[in-house]
Amino acid sequence: MTAQTRLRRQVAATFAVATVLLPLSASAQVDLGTEEQRAAGKVVYDKYCGQCHGDTGDGNGYATPRVKPKPRDFTTGTYKFRTTPNGMLPTDDDLRRVIEIGAPYTSMPGWPNLTSTEIQNVIYYIKSFSPDFENPDRYAEPIDIPRPLESTEESIARGRVVYEEQGCGACHGEAGRGDGASAPTLVNDKGDPIRAADLTQRWTYRGGPTKEDIYRTFSTGLNGTPMPSYADSLEVEDRQHLVNYVYSLGDADDPNYGTLITAVYSEEPLDLQDEEALDALFESAPMTRFPLVGQITEPGRNFFPPVTSIEAQAVYNRDEIAFRVRWHDLRADTSGRNNPSLEVPMWDEDNGIGGDATDAAGDSDDFFGDFGGEEAPAEDDFFGDSGDDFFGDGGDDFFGAADAGAGGAEFSDAVALQFPASLAPEETPELKPYFLYGDAQNPVDLWFVNLTYGVADTFRGRGSDSIEATEADIVEAVTSYDQGAWTVTYKRRRSSRAGVSFAEEQYTPVAFSVWDGFNRERGNKRALSSWFYVYTEPSAEQTVAGPVLRAALIVLAIELLVVFLVRRRARQQAAGEETAGTLTATEAPAV
Amino acid sequence: MWGLNLPIVLALAAIGGVLVWRRAHTLVWLLYSLGALWAFFKFGFVVPIPQSVATIYLAITGLALVAYASSSRERLAETVQPIKRLILEPRYRLALAGLLVALPALAAYNAYADLTMPLEAPGFGREIHPAPPPEITVHDETVNMTTGDNPYLHYKADDPELYGKHLENGRRVYYENCFWCHGDGMGGDGMFAHGLNPVPSNFNDVGTLPALQSSFVHWRIAKGGPGLPGPGTPWDSAMPAWEKFLTTEEMWDVNLFIYDFNGFEPRALGQH
Repeated sequence: MTAQTRLRRQVAATFAVATVLLPLSASAQVDLGTEEQRAAGKVVYDKYCGQCHGDTGDGNGYATPRVKPKPRDFTTGTYKFRTTPNGMLPTDDDLRRVIEIGAPYTSMPGWPNLTSTEIQNVIYYIKSFSPDFENPDRYAEPIDIPRPLESTEESIARGRVVYEEQGCGACHGEAGRGDGASAPTLVNDKGDPIRAADLTQRWTYRGGPTKEDIYRTFSTGLNGTPMPSYADSLEVEDRQHLVNYVYSLGDADDPNYGTLITAVYSEEPLDLQDEEALDALFESAPMTRFPLVGQITEPGRNFFPPVTSIEAQAVYNRDEIAFRVRWHDLRADTSGRNNPSLEVPMWDEDNGIGGDATDAAGDSDDFFGDFGGEEAPAEDDFFGDSGDDFFGDGGDDFFGAADAGAGGAEFSDAVALQFPASLAPEETPELKPYFLYGDAQNPVDLWFVNLTYGVADTFRGRGSDSIEATEADIVEAVTSYDQGAWTVTYKRRRSSRAGVSFAEEQYTPVAFSVWDGFNRERGNKRALSSWFYVYTEPSAEQTVAGPVLRAALIVLAIELLVVFLVRRRARQQAAGEETAGTLTATEAPAV
Repeated sequence: MWGLNLPIVLALAAIGGVLVWRRAHTLVWLLYSLGALWAFFKFGFVVPIPQSVATIYLAITGLALVAYASSSRERLAETVQPIKRLILEPRYRLALAGLLVALPALAAYNAYADLTMPLEAPGFGREIHPAPPPEITVHDETVNMTTGDNPYLHYKADDPELYGKHLENGRRVYYENCFWCHGDGMGGDGMFAHGLNPVPSNFNDVGTLPALQSSFVHWRIAKGGPGLPGPGTPWDSAMPAWEKFLTTEEMWDVNLFIYDFNGFEPRALGQH
């Protein structure tokens, strides 16, 4: 019996059952499409979906080892984002929704280029990967999603009570930053590590940022993940209050990424030890959020950095400048090692790609030899030997169920600000050092903080393979970890002996790196940003009235001058004509 | 269309049409030309163009208009005639007073808007497809940028099965390495694209791959951002030098694949 005839018989049988059940559930019926539709869906699937979800739908495509969360395994019939009750199959519209808009901050993009028909065909094809879709018992009506309640203080307060009663903080953290005590241990039903959502960053919600999306997630759960459904344990109204509370944790649907830190001037001293005064100073400085992405340009590639953005501010006074950066991390890893040049193997151990395993061309050995791959001994660096550590605990458990205890990771959390060692010459203002730790001609300075020690070390980078400690300038730092948020405040003299000085009204390039020890990030395996800028705002109060008045007066003066000249000319002409008239009457003027 | 804000452009053209039809005065034409150009720069583009560029064009146009108006004694007289009458004739006294107040107010507003504009990081232009070197050496193999070609392209006609194998290998390479930035559908919109500046190349764009020889694409793949000449701002590009990670065959295969996926052909040798 071929697969096709088997499928056809199953479909026929299903239809027989479905016909009996039809009067009971009108809309939740088995609909597997026609053979032509599934065949058309296969064409779309093979082109756009198979590389991640696998050509056989098992979630094992080319990209799978290097993405996290893992692509859906369609053979299981388990789906996260559904309007149907916990454990049930999604509706076609649920599948369509994810195909159309994707899942933010995962490797699943939206597919706006596909037509409605193409999407429907691909849905039929996806459903054919799991026999569950032939089973009418697995279907259910979508839940009702009521209109959101008004976000009153009482509603939010009640939602907070529900949040505590239900133990949401155990995974999502007391402040909702995805840093609950059990967050580091979470896995899905396939055993893959999974992260609790950071509820304060709505734009990263996989299921969507609206109140309806949030209500749906509480009420249907995310099948196959530790996120349960609260449909049975919470009244509709309490779920609505909880929606309002969760919604109140974030302040925007969008990250509103910026490109510039505005450093504000203050007369006050910048004392890193005086926490209160420092907080008050930064209170007045605008905060900018910058996107971070994985470093995947050079060896030590980081395909799934958990930290996706960093916020930054700056304050300066007559002599000094202070920067404050803040980001969210599910756990403070403060016992391990880290530094910017810690060696990471050419083919990192965190995934199955690289080396002979996949090299169809068969000349991978030469290639490895040339580039000193995994086997190459790590070069000694000033933090001691780092070569032995990578190979011990590779494989699947790198995400660290093993070191789930607080702060037990091998590598510590860390952060660095990066500045050019000197500003671009005037004739080529666009010139910057290579954004990945600089280059030989244009070095960078790194203000690096290993959060195990909480002090700033300075490095000069001339490229990833040439990073040296430097002590030309003293950079101070204070650090704190509070409920899932790291805050690091740096201070340095504005003028530098060897690096960049921060003059007033100057645009200075700046870039960021963040290392999450829990994700085994170290050295070049990090989250990083492109070049952005710090602008040191003028210290003198800028008055608007002066320049505005000047502009108006200048224009007025020009106008009056024109009017005066035109009129005088007209008067002269008139007088001239009169004179000319009298002259011709008497005698011609001597020319 | 062409990145233009069509309703605005059509409205400006319509006003011009009305002026032709009404046989507008020279002065009206001059004012219209300057005003329309300003409005075109300010509102006519979907993606706003930098203020500094607009200012340069406006200044040049302004000078040209002055030159035109003063090109002959008659034209100059005709042009300034309405201005003279406005200033001299008593019946326009109220309009003149209005103008004397309105223009300084406009200048004041402009100065205010300039001063209170939110700060932006300085932006610099870059060459998207800078000229390649005459030849490159990748894994000890020299490829001439003018005559070099994808060594597997000819299999498309000669040996479709082998061609398919190279394509599949290219597909593997792409989805193991490239889609984080260039995107699953190759729209230059991968999951890391929002954090990169310049943004990754969009391979769906008819102006990109079809306009390039496969040897050029090979150069960009093999040498990446660090291999760009200065005008391409190599310091900002996140494109890896793939020769560090991939074999020559893998690079040509992925080159083949990105063309095939989008239904494009490389620009042929010597075609301009």
